[in-house]
Amino acid sequence: MAASSIFESFFASQGFALFEFVGDEAFRLIGNWPPWCQSAWGDIPGDTEHLRLGEVSPFLENFLFDAEEFWNSNASGSANSGNWSERDSAGREIPLEASAYLLDGKRLLIVRNLSETFAQQQELFQIARDSLLVHEKLLREIQKKEILLHCIVHDLTQPLSAMNGVFHLLEREHLPAQLKKYVKAGERESQRQELMIRGILEAFSSDLAAQNSSPEKTGESPDLAECAQRAVHDFSTAFRDHDVRLRFDSRVNKSADWRVAGDAARLDRIFGNLLENAMRYSPRGTTVTVGVEDQRGFVLAFVDDQGPGLPKNQAETQLFALFSKGKSQAGKAGLGLYFCKITVERWGGAIGAETRTQGGSRFWFRLPRSEKTAPGAELVESKKSASREKRREKQKPAKRLRVLVADDAELNRDLVVELLERRGHIAIGVADGRQAVAELEKHDFDVLLIDEEMPNMTGLQATQAIRKREAGTALHQVIIGISGHAMEEDEQRFREAGMDALLPKPVHMQKLYEVVESTAARAGKKPQPRAADATPEVLITSPAASSASVSNSIPRPSGDVIGHLHRSTGGNEKLMRSLVAILLADAPKTLAQIGRAIAQNNAAELGAASHLLKGSLAIFGAAKAVESARSLETMGKTANLREAPLEFRTLETEFALLRTALLPLISKPKSSKPPRPNAKRTLKPPVKRRGR
Amino acid sequence: MIQKKVCMLGSFSVGKTSLVRRFVDSIFDDKYHTTIGVKVDKKVVTTSGQDVTLVLWDIHGEDVYQKMRMSYLRGMSGYLLVADGTRRQTLDDALSLNERVVQEFGKLPSLLLLNKYDLTDQWEIDSAQESKLTAAGWNVLHTSAKTGDSVEKVFLQLAQEALGR
Repeated sequence: MAASSIFESFFASQGFALFEFVGDEAFRLIGNWPPWCQSAWGDIPGDTEHLRLGEVSPFLENFLFDAEEFWNSNASGSANSGNWSERDSAGREIPLEASAYLLDGKRLLIVRNLSETFAQQQELFQIARDSLLVHEKLLREIQKKEILLHCIVHDLTQPLSAMNGVFHLLEREHLPAQLKKYVKAGERESQRQELMIRGILEAFSSDLAAQNSSPEKTGESPDLAECAQRAVHDFSTAFRDHDVRLRFDSRVNKSADWRVAGDAARLDRIFGNLLENAMRYSPRGTTVTVGVEDQRGFVLAFVDDQGPGLPKNQAETQLFALFSKGKSQAGKAGLGLYFCKITVERWGGAIGAETRTQGGSRFWFRLPRSEKTAPGAELVESKKSASREKRREKQKPAKRLRVLVADDAELNRDLVVELLERRGHIAIGVADGRQAVAELEKHDFDVLLIDEEMPNMTGLQATQAIRKREAGTALHQVIIGISGHAMEEDEQRFREAGMDALLPKPVHMQKLYEVVESTAARAGKKPQPRAADATPEVLITSPAASSASVSNSIPRPSGDVIGHLHRSTGGNEKLMRSLVAILLADAPKTLAQIGRAIAQNNAAELGAASHLLKGSLAIFGAAKAVESARSLETMGKTANLREAPLEFRTLETEFALLRTALLPLISKPKSSKPPRPNAKRTLKPPVKRRGR
Repeated sequence: MIQKKVCMLGSFSVGKTSLVRRFVDSIFDDKYHTTIGVKVDKKVVTTSGQDVTLVLWDIHGEDVYQKMRMSYLRGMSGYLLVADGTRRQTLDDALSLNERVVQEFGKLPSLLLLNKYDLTDQWEIDSAQESKLTAAGWNVLHTSAKTGDSVEKVFLQLAQEALGR
């Protein structure tokens, strides 16, 4: 008993209240009713042998469930209530903590007054949480600033890009030496001004400087698999706290070469953003898997979660959309994913998200392998691949064909004509179906390549007119339709209109040669004359018909524009420069035309201008811009301009992004001879007429 | 007298304690004082002509330093789910917390408070998002512990709903 008294005195001196549980929610007070108990709970509630603590403290009442469970379990150790506070009669808070023990069969409850140590604990938590808030705020401010600076860079460089494009075009003209000197000086100064603007902005933001630094400048070739593993390591604690398992995909061959264009610090941040996102949407007990995959010339990194997947009614583009005054619906502040997007795209990559078939979502991004591409370095990219493309381009076809190209989109038309000529064919361009029909009346062509949608007379209407003229004769003009719609039903539509084949848009060099030459060859082998009413043995080439064309015809994200352009032109540097210069000079005018049409509620002009721009943009694989132009075209055609102003802003933004991605192509010091002057842009002299 | 246990739930620094202080003591302190553990308060309100003692459990916000014990919620009649309208993430956190609560205790009377409505210039939750929440069945209310806007109203509304069960 003496020992017991000592303990009681000790507990009392420490401000502890000691109780023994006697059953039926009642306790026996051991020792004294401490003064703080008096302050918090008033006088001893009833008999000290049968205290009902639950009645004086709702918190204790709740804790008794846990305490009883502990006592009944006969477990060793103790059950702890965690901190809570009660207010005394003066309104002061008394921090408390209760613990249940089982000693010699006695069920004990100790309630401790933590006033002495609580202030220190409180201070530590306060500092920690204040820091978290400051950190959160800083992150948001930095992100906002980055976006703002990014937009400023876009806006300030926009007119300069146009100027550079104009200078580039002027340079290609036969100018007197003195004028050429002025043009050179103008080009040099506009480029210098652009560099100065970037320099000033970079001085304000080291982050932006890193953002603008191309892998070429940094000289880095970070290993994407290593970055992914580092991210898994860095985030494992945070995920553990959320009861979510984070792992690196064990199937990844770590010894393989996963080096990409980019810089490690930015990649860490991209992984960070994607992982934070995954953590936020992952239910407890699930797993998030990070890994990398090889994708022919690219490395794809992915973050797979087992969460609810992407919202059904949310477009993927919304996920990566630009933060708008903190009211974005996506993500923490709608900035993280946008940041990932602009960074990845700047490095010549792409980013996306999808709901996985097995559940959960996949956020992915892919970057060019380090030895291949980097923004601004695309022109020198893959010497091997370019020379292979050039060899292919120079391989002369079995027969030199005369091809009439009808497309209202000047850029598309020029590209196709240029590619066919490089191949050794003779090509002429016209701007619509009516001109095509007229040209065919005057001259013979082996092949008519005709765009589906054109003013005055569409490709289908022109085909029907040609077939009508051929009816009852032995003639059969080979007609290949060009269309962005290349599904099976489109194939059927083209077939019914009398076309022989379909070339999917955007046009790629290899596909162009393949379709034109094989279709012409088939037509040549056919017995002549052919009965007009016989079922033609048509070759309809659609994406569905060939896996190669599937991959080529799917519009790429705007981040892949340079790779796309490379494929479209077969890596022809001069042609790429020329196309970019024309686009950058012409597109702003068409955009202005669209803007005017919307302002004046001129549906017809909106439809026509959007259609033209859509065709030009498709060459660059700028999928989002093309989609936006297509929407505007539809609005024009259906005379429903309600959503047009909003869509126009999207188109402007997408074009600005495209321009930024393309700019390095024309602002980069030339690595080879200047482009040939007077590159074809208009009708050529007619070919020698073949007797009919 | 009837007693109803009401819990304040949400991330740290969303204003749970400030709402309780405003409701119980009619005071507001602009300085942030983090809560450790649980603060228990009581206030008698009259609703539908009936006096009810609200036992308010102001539970610390979850973060990397403190996890909430679900046992704190045992026996509650309803809860106020609080988010800071100027920090979007706190809404996501609140909704995620709510899922755990519903999983453990089923559907109980609750209101979703977008607090700090006096700071509308920093507001990060747009009306489209709120519409979605409403469509999902949430009763969303804007509150400001600083100005007192809607504070009394939300506690009374919850008391009424809890009483109706």
